[in-house]
Amino acid sequence: MRDSFASYHPIVNFGYFVVILVCSMVFMHPVFQMLALISAITYSVMLKGSRAIKFNLLYMLPLLLFMAIMNPAFNHAGVTILFYLKNGNPITLESILFGVAAACMFVTVIIWFSCYNEVMTSDKFIYMFGTIIPALSLILSMVLRFVPRYMTQIKVISNAQKCIGRDVSQGNILRRARNGITILSIMTTWALENAIETADSMKSRGYGLPGRTSFSIFRFDNRDKIISMFMISLIALVVIGAVKGENTIRFFPSVKAAEISPFSLIVYIAYFVLCMIPVIVNVVEAVKWKHIESKT
Amino acid sequence: MQGKPIERQRLSRRTLLAAVLILVLIPATIMFGVYVLDDRKYYFISLLIVLYTIVPFAMVFEQRKPQARELIVIAVLSAIAVAGRGAFFMLPQFKPVVAIVIIAGVSLGPEAGFLVGAVTGFVSNFFFGQGPWTPWQMFCFGIIGFLAGILFKKGLLKKTKISLCLFGGLSTFIIYGGIINIGSLLMFTSHFTWKALLATYISGFWFDMVHAIATVFFLLIMAKL
Repeated sequence: MRDSFASYHPIVNFGYFVVILVCSMVFMHPVFQMLALISAITYSVMLKGSRAIKFNLLYMLPLLLFMAIMNPAFNHAGVTILFYLKNGNPITLESILFGVAAACMFVTVIIWFSCYNEVMTSDKFIYMFGTIIPALSLILSMVLRFVPRYMTQIKVISNAQKCIGRDVSQGNILRRARNGITILSIMTTWALENAIETADSMKSRGYGLPGRTSFSIFRFDNRDKIISMFMISLIALVVIGAVKGENTIRFFPSVKAAEISPFSLIVYIAYFVLCMIPVIVNVVEAVKWKHIESKT
Repeated sequence: MQGKPIERQRLSRRTLLAAVLILVLIPATIMFGVYVLDDRKYYFISLLIVLYTIVPFAMVFEQRKPQARELIVIAVLSAIAVAGRGAFFMLPQFKPVVAIVIIAGVSLGPEAGFLVGAVTGFVSNFFFGQGPWTPWQMFCFGIIGFLAGILFKKGLLKKTKISLCLFGGLSTFIIYGGIINIGSLLMFTSHFTWKALLATYISGFWFDMVHAIATVFFLLIMAKL
């Protein structure tokens, strides 16, 4: 399925992920964590389909369990002692709960990052930072281009070497290793020589001269404005809630979470909507499309 | 003749910036963590601190308005390191990145060493997946390149195979392993104890060992002297 959130302006995408990642790392309150985890899973499934389900079940679930068990083994704080280990260390309810919470947080962050990798492609990242760190983002874009290019070139070199019987697939093991090193050395020499040519060509076309502009395909239009306003107001609500202490939880010595009140419900809803923005955008877009389709 | 003062001015500007970051921003972040976030968000705070350490290098590099040749050489070395990491991906931890970063630091100077390391860490994760570990890897690779450059300038690190391999093995094992393990511990438990740190070091021992051996191996092959 086509992700319509990814078609928004890169600033919207990047801002969303920065805010959501910081919130997921900072808010340990169980309600907030569950909301973030649910939205992260929903969005990742929406983005990647069955691949995401497999990833979440195969890697994230065991990781969550492993981390939840790891914490009580090392952390013995807390007042509710459940039982003692063989070496005399107590296992406490608080440390188990904290382990589960920390594991949840970590898994949520990883799943958000897997969504980030799908949405924030490298061209968007380079576009965003092109004005702040132009030289470094030029380096980044060059490296990203060079890697596949070198991979192709290495095949070319390897084929040429094969013609004279010096490929990594020819000869005994020692011979193969030596051939491999020769190929890498040819590759490096080619890369550096090619680089100097590119640099000279850049210079002769006026790289670094003042008054040059750059081209980009991204435009900050009305829907970007609307969604950023929406996001900012939700973030404001969540931050007010955070300042008022609606999303804090204390684990040690005993568990104490902020109680649920009418105001905290508003904060929960705001946070949930904030996390779900990409999903909502996608659903609205799909409904619109269906509607247009049914008319014709 | 004119290179010297510019070099010194550049170094001092970076030192100033780094001093501001270290003396003001980092304590402020830690305070923020202790008082506002209740001192339970080690990972988040340490992530911010690691990011701060990368900023001065980037800023100084940008202000200098580097030439095309300089940019391209850094890009090529990073690309080779990324491709090398990709080529050996089936062997866990057996990667040539540190070796290339050290060579960059020795032959192009500490600043270029840091940039090659940090860029490699960042870009290779576009292929292997970004995550909360990215800033840690960027910082570790970068700081090894930076140290290699500085030690070479001071004459402590020589351009001989033995000296390079020794530095490569030790720095990979101690600096990279030492910092990355703290990072992964903070990522996993977010409750810091010395015992857990020791357990992480012990469980990570062979990974760091393989990584260090890989670095020595690649330095042996690549350092042509």
